[in-house]
Amino acid sequence: MISYLVFLAVIGGIYALLAQSVTLAWGMAGLVNLGLAGFFGIGAYASAMLVTWGGVPVPVGLVAAVIAGAVAGLVVTGATLRLRDDYLAIVTLGFAEAVRIIASNEIWLTGGTDGISGIPGGFPRDWGLGFHAAWMGTISVLVFCVWFGLRRLSASPWGRALRAIREDQTVAAVAGKPVARMKAEAFAIAAGIAALAGALYGHYGSYIAPELFAPLVTIYVFLAVTTGGNGRPSGAVLGGYLLIAFLEATRFAAGAIPGVTALQAAALREASVGVALILLLHWRPQGILPERNQKAPLV
Amino acid sequence: MTLARRTLLLSTSLLAAPSLVRAQAAPIKLGTLTPLTGAGGPYGPVMAACVRGVVDQVNAAGGVLGKQIELISEDDQTNPEAGVRAARKLIDVDRVSAIMGTWASSVTTAVAPLAWENKVFLATVSGADSITLLPHNGWLVRTQPNTTLQGKKFGEFAVAQGAKRIFVMMPQTPFTQSQFAAMKAAAEAGGGAAELLIYDATKPSLRTEVDQAMRFRPDVIVAGGYTPDTSVLLRDLYRASFSGKVLAFAYAVNQAMLGAIPKEVVEGVMTLAPSPAAGSGGYAKVQALAGTQAPDPYTCQIYDHVNLVLMAMAKGGATTGQAVHDNIRKVSQGSGESVDTALDGLRAIAAGREVNYEGASGPCDFNEIGDVLDVKFRYEQVKAGALTLIRIA
Repeated sequence: MISYLVFLAVIGGIYALLAQSVTLAWGMAGLVNLGLAGFFGIGAYASAMLVTWGGVPVPVGLVAAVIAGAVAGLVVTGATLRLRDDYLAIVTLGFAEAVRIIASNEIWLTGGTDGISGIPGGFPRDWGLGFHAAWMGTISVLVFCVWFGLRRLSASPWGRALRAIREDQTVAAVAGKPVARMKAEAFAIAAGIAALAGALYGHYGSYIAPELFAPLVTIYVFLAVTTGGNGRPSGAVLGGYLLIAFLEATRFAAGAIPGVTALQAAALREASVGVALILLLHWRPQGILPERNQKAPLV
Repeated sequence: MTLARRTLLLSTSLLAAPSLVRAQAAPIKLGTLTPLTGAGGPYGPVMAACVRGVVDQVNAAGGVLGKQIELISEDDQTNPEAGVRAARKLIDVDRVSAIMGTWASSVTTAVAPLAWENKVFLATVSGADSITLLPHNGWLVRTQPNTTLQGKKFGEFAVAQGAKRIFVMMPQTPFTQSQFAAMKAAAEAGGGAAELLIYDATKPSLRTEVDQAMRFRPDVIVAGGYTPDTSVLLRDLYRASFSGKVLAFAYAVNQAMLGAIPKEVVEGVMTLAPSPAAGSGGYAKVQALAGTQAPDPYTCQIYDHVNLVLMAMAKGGATTGQAVHDNIRKVSQGSGESVDTALDGLRAIAAGREVNYEGASGPCDFNEIGDVLDVKFRYEQVKAGALTLIRIA
C-alpha cells in the first residue's frame, strides 16, 4: 500500500508539472496548447535516447529534454505567431499527432512502436521502496521549484504584461509590449516544463512508447488545470495531484459498487470524469484556487 | 489539524479492516489486466468475463490448496500509462500473485518490469517479438505465437494460394516490421514478391492507400489491421473493384465485423489465426464460458492463463508468484496426463499425478524465454456471409 501511494505521488507530481506548463501558456498567456502530449513526448524521447543509447548521466538528459522542448516550443510559436484561439489549438493538436506518428514510424531514430525499454532510473532500482521514495523526493522538489519560479514570473512585470496580452493583445501592443516575443517566451518555457515532465516519466517508469503520448494525456491535464484554477500555479499543482487522486479513487469506488462487472466499472470510471468536469464547471467555473487580481501598487 | 488526524485515522482503519476480516481465509489473489476501454475494448471485457467463469468454477469445486480465489479485474485502457497505474494497484494494494491478459504490446512492455521486480507472474497475449526478449528471468509467458511465426504462416499461405505479388497493408505496431519481414521471406522463397504499406489506423478512408496498392498489381492483399481499420480497408478495396484475394487476421474479420458491414464487401476474404484443433476440450469449454460458437483467440488464451496459473500453484504447494514461476512448465508440458481444465488438473495433481495441460489456444508448451511452441493455425474463408473452415494446419 505504501509503495502504491508513493508511486501515485510521483505520477501526481508529473501531472502537476504538466499542469503548470498549461497554466503558463493558457492561464497566463491565453495560448491554448493542445499539443501538450507532443512536448511531453519530445522530452521523454530526448532524455531516454541520450541516456539509454548515448550513455550520458540522467541529469544531463533532463537538461537536454528541457532544451529540446523549449526549442520545439519556439518552432511551433514561430510557425503560428499570427494564430490565436481556436487556430492555435488546432495547429498544436496536429503538432502532437505529428510527434507521435514520427516516433512510431522513424524506427531508426526512436525504436518505433516497440518504444525504448530499460531506460536508466537515476537511482538503483533494487532499492525497492527507496527507489520510489527517492523519485518522489526528486519530483516533489522539481514541482516546488517550478511552482516557485512561476509565482515569481507571474508577479513580475513580465507576468503582468503577459496577462495584459491574454486580455487584449492589441492594447498590450499599443502600450509598447513586445507581444510576439513575449508569447514565444511563455510558450517555450511552458514547452520546456512539459518536456521535463516527459523525461522524468521515462526515467522513473523505465519504458516509453509513442502510445504514451496520445491526446488522452492532454485532456487529463486540461481537466486538472480547470479543476485547480487555470490562472494560478498553486491551482495547477493542486489540480495535478487531485487528478491522479480522483482517477485512482474512482478505481476503488467503482469496484465497491456491488453487482457491477469489470466492464461496467471501467465505463463508470470514464463517465465519472465527464460528470466531475460538468459539475465543476457548473459550481466553480473559476476552479478551486481562482486567479487573484493584483492590486495596483500605491505610489 | 484534529480533523485531519481523525480523517487519517478513519481512513487507515477503513483500509485495514478488510484485510483483518480476510486474514482467516487468506484467499488467493489473481488479477486480470485487459483493455476494457480504448482500442482493445472489443476484446478485453470478454477475456475478463472468461477468467471470472473459470475462477467461479474452481471456487465452487473447493478452490486451490484449500483456498478460495479472489479475482480482481482492472482496465489498462489500452494505454501504457494507465496500464502501469492499474498494475501498481494490483501489485501493491491487492497483492496479486499473477497478472493475466495484457493485450497491447506497449502495455505488456511497460508492465513487465513491475511484475518481475515484485515477483508477480505475468501471462500475456501480446505478440511483439521484443517482449520475450526482455530480461524477465522466467517471470513472463505468452500464449500468442510470436509475430515472426505468424508472418511466415501468412506468407506461406499466400504462396499456396498461387500468389506471386503480395501487397501487405498494416498500421504501425510493434509487430509490423518483423511480421512483414517473415512474410516477405516466405513469399520470396516461393518465387514471389512482397511490398509493405503502413497506414494510419485512425483514418476514415484509405482510398489513397488502396490506389497505391493497385499500382503494385498485387494478386493477394494482406490486410493486417484490427477490426475498425480493416472494415475501412475492405470497403475501399471493394470500391476499387480489387479482384484478387484478400487475407486478414481472424481477430479482425470476426463475427462482429460480418454483422456490421455489407456481405459483398467481405465475401471471399480469407482469415488466418493461431488455433487449437477445433473440437478440443478446452475450446469447447471457452465456447460455453464465453457464450459464443466462435470465441476470439485472446479469450481462448486467457482461459489457458488462468488454468495454468492455478495448476502451477497446486503443483508448487504455494500460492505465490514464485510458485507459478517455478512450476508453470511442470504443468504445461511433459508426459503427464492430458487435461484441458484446471478442475481436472487440480484433482490429478492432488492425487499425485503429473499433468500436461492442452489448452483452448493450443498445446501451451513454452520454451525457456516464454514463447509458445508448436502452434496450429486455422484458415477460414468468408462464404455467403459466414466464416467457413478451409483447414487447420
